[in-house]
Amino acid sequence: MIFTLLCKAARRWQPAEAKTILVMKLTTMLLLAGCLQLSAAGLAQKVSVTGENIPLKKVFREVRRQTGYSFFYNARLLENAHTVNIDAKGMDLQELLDQCFRDQPLSYAIVGRTVVVRPRRDESPTTPSPAPLLDTAPARIWISGRVLDESNNVPVSGANIVIKGTQTGTVSGKEGDFRIGINPGEVLVISFVGYKSMEVRPAGVAPLTVRLRTNKDPLAGMVITGYQVINKESFTGNSTTVSGEELKKVNPQNVLQGIQIFDPSFSIAVNNLSGSNPNSLPVINVRGSTALPSGNGDVLSRTSLASNVNLPTFILDGFEVSLEKVYDMDINRIQSITLLKDAAATAIYGSRAANGVLVVTTKAPREGKLQVYYNYELNTTTPDLSDYHLLNAREKLDYEVLADLYTRVGGISQDDQDVRYFQKYKNVLSGVNTYWLSQPVRTTFGHKHSLYLEGGSNSIRYGVDLRYQTAPGVMKGSTRDRYSLGMDLAYNPNKTFLFKNVLTVNQVNSRESPYGAFSDYARMNPYFPKTDTAGNIIQAPDSWLIDTHQSGSGQYVTDVALNPLYNATLHSFNKGSYLELIDAFSGEWNIAKGLRLRSLLSYTKKKTDYNTFISPLANEFYFYPTSLLSKRGSYNYTTYDESTFDGNITLNYNRQIGDHYINVLLGSNVRTYSFDAKSFTAIGFTNDRFTNIGFANSFPDQSSPAGALSRERLFGTLLGINYSLKNRYLLDINLRADGSSKFGTDSKIANFWAVGLGWNVHKEDFMRQYRAISQLRFRVSTGLTGSVQFPPYLSKTTYTYYSTNWYSTGVGAGVISYGNETLQWQRTRESDAGFDLGLFKDRLIISPRYYYKITNGLLADINLPPSSGFLFYKANLGDMANRGYELGLKYTVISNRNWTVNVFANLVRNTNKILKISNALKAYNDKADQAQQNNDSLRAAPLLRYHEGQSLNTIYAVRSLGIDPENGQEIFIKRNGSHTYTWDVKDIVPVADATPKVTGSFGTSVSFRRFQLNANFFTILGGKSYNQTLVDRVENADPRYNVDRRVLTDRWKKPGDHAFFKDIRDLGTSNLSDRFVQNDNQLSLQSVYLSYDCSSLFYSRMGMKNLRLAFTMNDVFHWSSMKIERGTDYPFARSFTFSVQTSF
Amino acid sequence: MKIFFWIITCGLLFSSCKKWLDVKPESQISKDELFNTPSGFQEALNGVYSRCTQDDIYGEELSMGTLEVLAQNYTMPAQDKMGYLQTSLYNYKDPYFIARKDSMWKGLYNAIVNCNLILENVETHKSMLSAVDYALIKGESLGLRAYLHFDALRIFAPSFGNNPTAGGVPYVTDFSNTVTPMSTVTQVLTKVIRDLIDAKTILKPVDPILNAGYIAGYPGDKDDPETASPTLFQQNRRHRLNYYAVCGSLARAYLYMNKKDSALSNAMEVIGSGKFPWTKTADFISADAQTVDRILYKELVFAWYIPSKTAEIVYLFEGGPVSFYIESNAGNTLYETGGVGGEDLRFKQWMKPVTDVSGSRYELQKYIQDKDKNRHPLMAPALRLSEMYYIASECTYDTDPLKATSLVDSVRFRRGINTKLTVTSKDEFLGELVKEARKEFYGEGQLFYMYKRLGRSIIGLSGLGIPATNKVFVLPLPNDEIEYGNRN
Repeated sequence: MIFTLLCKAARRWQPAEAKTILVMKLTTMLLLAGCLQLSAAGLAQKVSVTGENIPLKKVFREVRRQTGYSFFYNARLLENAHTVNIDAKGMDLQELLDQCFRDQPLSYAIVGRTVVVRPRRDESPTTPSPAPLLDTAPARIWISGRVLDESNNVPVSGANIVIKGTQTGTVSGKEGDFRIGINPGEVLVISFVGYKSMEVRPAGVAPLTVRLRTNKDPLAGMVITGYQVINKESFTGNSTTVSGEELKKVNPQNVLQGIQIFDPSFSIAVNNLSGSNPNSLPVINVRGSTALPSGNGDVLSRTSLASNVNLPTFILDGFEVSLEKVYDMDINRIQSITLLKDAAATAIYGSRAANGVLVVTTKAPREGKLQVYYNYELNTTTPDLSDYHLLNAREKLDYEVLADLYTRVGGISQDDQDVRYFQKYKNVLSGVNTYWLSQPVRTTFGHKHSLYLEGGSNSIRYGVDLRYQTAPGVMKGSTRDRYSLGMDLAYNPNKTFLFKNVLTVNQVNSRESPYGAFSDYARMNPYFPKTDTAGNIIQAPDSWLIDTHQSGSGQYVTDVALNPLYNATLHSFNKGSYLELIDAFSGEWNIAKGLRLRSLLSYTKKKTDYNTFISPLANEFYFYPTSLLSKRGSYNYTTYDESTFDGNITLNYNRQIGDHYINVLLGSNVRTYSFDAKSFTAIGFTNDRFTNIGFANSFPDQSSPAGALSRERLFGTLLGINYSLKNRYLLDINLRADGSSKFGTDSKIANFWAVGLGWNVHKEDFMRQYRAISQLRFRVSTGLTGSVQFPPYLSKTTYTYYSTNWYSTGVGAGVISYGNETLQWQRTRESDAGFDLGLFKDRLIISPRYYYKITNGLLADINLPPSSGFLFYKANLGDMANRGYELGLKYTVISNRNWTVNVFANLVRNTNKILKISNALKAYNDKADQAQQNNDSLRAAPLLRYHEGQSLNTIYAVRSLGIDPENGQEIFIKRNGSHTYTWDVKDIVPVADATPKVTGSFGTSVSFRRFQLNANFFTILGGKSYNQTLVDRVENADPRYNVDRRVLTDRWKKPGDHAFFKDIRDLGTSNLSDRFVQNDNQLSLQSVYLSYDCSSLFYSRMGMKNLRLAFTMNDVFHWSSMKIERGTDYPFARSFTFSVQTSF
Repeated sequence: MKIFFWIITCGLLFSSCKKWLDVKPESQISKDELFNTPSGFQEALNGVYSRCTQDDIYGEELSMGTLEVLAQNYTMPAQDKMGYLQTSLYNYKDPYFIARKDSMWKGLYNAIVNCNLILENVETHKSMLSAVDYALIKGESLGLRAYLHFDALRIFAPSFGNNPTAGGVPYVTDFSNTVTPMSTVTQVLTKVIRDLIDAKTILKPVDPILNAGYIAGYPGDKDDPETASPTLFQQNRRHRLNYYAVCGSLARAYLYMNKKDSALSNAMEVIGSGKFPWTKTADFISADAQTVDRILYKELVFAWYIPSKTAEIVYLFEGGPVSFYIESNAGNTLYETGGVGGEDLRFKQWMKPVTDVSGSRYELQKYIQDKDKNRHPLMAPALRLSEMYYIASECTYDTDPLKATSLVDSVRFRRGINTKLTVTSKDEFLGELVKEARKEFYGEGQLFYMYKRLGRSIIGLSGLGIPATNKVFVLPLPNDEIEYGNRN
C-alpha cells in the first residue's frame, strides 16, 4: 500500500518547475561520485553562527566561509524563506541546518560538500507540491536494512519505513528486510504496531539494522505504590505489576482471579460451597494469614471458615476502596495492577499494610483527536458437574434395599413397605431416571459492551467510559449485572499545574437463583419423576417413617422429601443492588524542577439494598401447622449506606545530582468511613402473587428492626526515601505514623517503618566480562506494618439501650462490652530477601524470594471470670508466624521471525505457625471438643482448633486404622496408641496439615505472526484435605436420598470385605477420623487465550484503527487427586469468552 | 520552603487531633458519653433493673424457675420438655442445669458490674445531678449491689449457719478486668450489710416513699401517689430498691447472719411504716379481671417490673402437662386443704384445678394477666410485707413465742386461715413457719433460701424430705469462674 502511495506521489510530480529539475539533474550528474562518499566525517564540521532574524542567505554565506561547503539553490525559493534566530557555537553543520530549515517551506540535502536547497514537499498527499522525480532525483541513494525486535532480535515484518516528512516509504519483508531509495540526509521513520517508532538517519549506504523497542505501557518497569511511581530498577520493595491488558488475557470476567496467576502469593481461597456464584466475593490473603478469625466464639467448621480478617488493602488511583469495588470493575479500564507484598513496599500504608496492598490504576485520557475504543465480549458459561457421580434410579433402589429401608418400621407393616418398594420399582421399570443435577443449571450467555472515548488538546483532555455487562450464573436465575459510567477530565493550563477530576457511577444488580441450594438437587432420588401426569411439579414426592430409637412419642418421625424445584415455580426472590458514586479530584503543582506537590480528594457514596421474599407457599413453610398459616411467607429488607472520604497530600522531590539519585516523598492522608445499616423482616403473606412488603401481615414475634452505625477514622503522615548511587546501590526508607479511631485511647498513634537495601550487580564494571548475565539484583528489606481489620469501638466500654423493654421508670441502658483502652493495632514484622537473575539478555529470568512474617499482638478474646461482669474482652495477645518462599521463572524458548514462545512458572509456599494464643482460644478448643461430643451434626466435620506450635491449617481428627473386615466397624487409635471401636473426642489429635507444599501457576504464551495463544495452569501440590464428600455422601449418606456411587461400590457388605467405608446397613453417623484425610493435589487449566490481530487491509476499510478478535476459556479443566464434590451450594462453571476490540 | 512549612503545620494539626480520632459509636453509646448527662445516670440505673428482669435471673430462674424447682414446688412430668427434671433431682452435672446455673451467676454479676459503673462515675459527676437523683442513684446502686451479691451468696455458697468461714463468692466493687478474690461467707455478709446500711443512710432523706402521703396503691387509682411524681424516674418506688426495700433486705441479711435484733428492728421498720396496706379480700379473689389483684400488689415492698414476660408466663404455667404445675394431692397437702387451709384464699385464687390426660393438677394463677385490663402491671415479687412478719416472728420466738405466733397469725388471718397457730417447740414453730412461707411465696423463689438458712430438709412433693446437705444447697460455681478466676 505504501508503494501505491509512492507511485501516486511520483505521478503528481509532473507539473513541477522544469528549470529546477534541470539544474538538479545537472548537479546529480556532476556530483554522483561525491554522493558515494557521503560520510559522517564530512558532517562533523563545526560551525558557529549567532544572531537574530538573520536571512538564510546570510547563514549560507557564513557556513560556506567556515566550512567550505557550497550551497546550491534556486534564488526564487529563498523569497519564501523566513529569517532565523540562531545561537550556535561549535555546532554540527547538520544540526545547524536542521535548525535553520525547521519551519521553512524548504528542505535541504547534503551531497558531497554541497548543500542542495529545495522546496519542502507537503505532508498532505492531496496537495501537490514540488519534489524531485524519484527516478531522476540527483542525490538518490539506496539503503537496505533489517528491522528487528530489540528485546529478542526477532525480525519484524510489515514494519513501515517512511522517509520523514514524506509519504514515501516501504514495508519490511518476511525477514524484516527492506530497501528504500532516499535522498542524502533524509531521515527514515520506522514504525510498527506494538513498537515505539524510531528515526534513523542512514550514514552512508551501509546496510542498516534497526532495533525496535516494544511499545509497552509507559509504566512498564515502574512500580506504582499509589502515592508515587518508582523505577523498578531502583526499588528494593517486593511487588508484582501486571497490566490490565495482560490480566484480561487471563480472565476477562474476573479481575482478581487473574492476579493469582501472575503471583500465587495473592491467594484466593477455593470456595467449595459457592463455586462460581457470580455474587459471592472471594476470600483473599497475601502471604498467609496474619490474624485469627475473630468471631462470636461459635464453633467453626473448617469448610465454612470464611473470614476476611486477612484481606489486603485495595487502593484505586490513590484512595482506598473495597474488595467489591475491584471485583465489579471494568477490566478494560485498568491500566495496571500492582501487588505490594513486603514491608519495604507497603510500609507507607502503615496500619493497613500487614496483609499486602493491591494498587489499581485506571487509564488516563491521552491528547489527540477524538479516539473511540470499543470492546464487546460474549461470555458463555456452562456448569461443571464432572465431580458428581451419583447413583441412577435402579442402583439407588438397590441401595435402599441393601440399607434395609423396606423392612417394617413402627406402624408400617412389611406389606405396606413392599407396596412402597414396588411402586418405586414400577417407576424405575417405566424408565423414570431423572437427572436432577441438570434441573437448576443452565448454559448462560453474558454480554459486555464497553466504550471509551478520549481526546483533547494539550491543556484539556477528556475521557468518557460506558459499560454494560451482564454476568448470568449457571444456576438458573442468578445474575450480576453491572453498569458504569465514568467521566475523566484533565486540565493543565500550563506546565506548572495539572487538575484532574474523575467521576464514576456504578450500578450493580445481583440476584440469587430461586432454585435454592444446588445440594438439594444432588440428593433428590432419580426415581422421582419431576412432574405428575398432569405436568405439575410435585411438592412432596415421598416420605419416610424413621425409627430414631428414642423412647417415648419421639421414637418415630416422618421425614418428608420436598422437591426443591417447587420453590422455583414460586415468586420468591433474593436480590440486591447498589449504586455507587465516586468523585476523585486531584491537583498537581510542579513547583520547581523535580519538586511536585500533589493532592487528591475522593468521596465515595454507596447505597446497597437487599430484598428477600420467600413465598408463603415455599417448602420452608410446608410443615407450618394450620394455626400458623397466617404467618407463612417472609420479606426481609436490608439497606446499607456507606460513605468514604479519602484525601491525601504529598510532596515529591526527585533529583539526580551526579551519581546520586534521590526521590523523597512526604505526605499525609486522611480517611473517614461511615457505615449505616438498617434491616427488618415482615411475615405473613396471603399468596404468592403479592410480593410487595406492603402485603405483609405482621412482624415476627419478639422481633424488632435491626440497625447498626459505625464510623472509622484514620489519619497518617508518611515519609518515603528512595535513593540510589550510580544506579547500583539502592536504599529505601519508609516511615509512617498512623492514628486510627479503632485504637484504644491509650495508644491512638502508631509508628511503622521499613528499610530496604538493593544492589544492581549487573551494573558493576566487573560484571561486563560475564556477558551471559544480563541482570543480577539483590534485595533485602525489613519493616513493621500493622493491621486494623477489626470492628470499630472495641476499645470502648459501650452501653446499649433496652429499647424494646422499658422499665416502669424509664428506658434503661446496660453495659455490653468491656472496652480495652490499651488496645493496639496488630504489628507484623516482615523480612524479605531475594534476587533477580536475568541470563542471556534476560531470555531467562529467575527471581527467588524468601520471607518471614511474624505478627505480634494478634487481636484475641481474653476470657474473664464471669464475676467480673463480662465473659471476655479483646486484647492484643497472640503471636503468629508465616514463612514463605516464592520463585518466579520466565524463559523465552523460541523467538524468531514468526514465532515467539515464552514459558513461565510462579511457585509459592507459605507455612503458618501459631506461636502464642490467648486463654479464650484454648477454651475454644474445649468448646469444640464439647460440641463434637454432644452435637451429632458436628461430629463428622473437622473443626478449627488452635494449638501453639501448630498451623492454622492443621486438621484435627481421631486416628483410624480403617474398617475392620470382620464386622465393618471402624478401628480407632487412642491417644495412648491402643486400639478401640469406640470414638472418643479426647483422642482427637492433629493428623495433617492442609498447607500445600507448593501452590503455583505456570503457563506459556505463544505468538505466531498475528496470532497469540496463552495458556495458564494453576496447581496445588502436597496438601492434605478432609474429604467431606466421602463423609457426607458416602459414609454417613442418608439412604433415603441420592448419594455418591461409592456407597454401592466401596462400602463393607459382608465379613471379609476389605472396604474403605463402613457397613452399608449402618445408618448411624460416623465420627471424625483421619480415614477421610486425603492427599490434595490439584491441577487446573485456568485459562486459554487465543487472539488474532486483523490485518490493516481488512480493518482500515471499515474505518478502524485496529481490530483484535480474541477467545478465552476459563476453568476448562480441573483435576484433583481427591474425588470430592465441588461447588455444593452452587456449581462451578466453565467459562468461554469471545471478544472484539477495536478503536476508531 | 514555604510549602514545607504548611505541610508540617498541617501534619501537626492533624496529629494533635486525637479528639478527631475519638469516634463515638451511635447505635450504642460509650460509657463516657452516657455518664455525661443526668438522664444517662437515670438510664444506667433503669438498666440495672431491666437487666435483672431478664430470664437468667429475676425474670425467671431466680423467681419462678430453677430456685422453685430446687425447692420441690413443681411436679416434674416425665416428658421433660423444659429440661428441669434433672434439676429437681439435684443432678448438678445435667447440662440444662449447668447452663442455667452458669447464666444465673453471669447475670447476677453482670448486673453488679452495671451498679459498679454507676458508683464509679456518680461521685465525679455529683454536681451535675440533682440532690434527689444523686441520692436515689447512689443509694439504689449500692443497695442493688448488696442485694445481688447476697443472692449470689445464698445460691452458690454454704449458709452462714452451716459454715460461716467457708469460701463464699467474690464481692466485686469495681469495674475492671482483674479478678476479685473470694470472700468468706461472713465477709460477704458483712459487706452486704455495710452497703445496705450506706444505701439506707443515703436514701432516707430523699426517697419519695418516705413522704407522708405515699401509701402503696393501684396505678389506676385516683391520686395514686406512686405515679404522681412528674418525673418518671421518681415514680413507682416499689418497682425499685426503695428505702423500705433496703430495710427489708437488711432484715434478711441480718437474719441470715443470725443477728436477730438488727433483723427484727429492720423488719419492724417496714411493718410499722404503714406504707404497705394489706390487700382486701375482695380485691384478691375478685372474679372481675379489672379489679382482681392476684399478686397482692400493695403488699409488695419491692418487686421487679416484668410486663414483657406476659406471654412467656402463659407458656411457663399454662402450657399443659409439660409446664410448671403441681399434682393435685401435692397441692392439697401444700395448702393443707384438709386442715387449716380449707378456706385459704391463696389456694382458691392461685391454684387452678385442671384435669387432663396427665391426671388432675393445679396450674399457678399468681402471674396470669388478662390482656389490657389489669389492676397492676405484671410483677415478680422480690420482697413482701408478709416476709417482714415472718422475719419478725422468727426473731421474737426465742424471747416471746406468743408474740411470734401472733405475727404469723396476722398474715394467716389475712389469707383466710382463721385457726391460730399453736406450737410446742421451736422446731415445730419453724416447721409451721416454713409451711406458711411455702404457701405465701409459692412461685417466687424464696423457699430454697429459707430451707438452706435453717438447714432444714426440703419437703418433697411425695412428702419425703430431701436431707439438708451442701450437696443440695450449694450450687457449684461455673467452670469459667473456676478456670479464669483461679477459684478452687
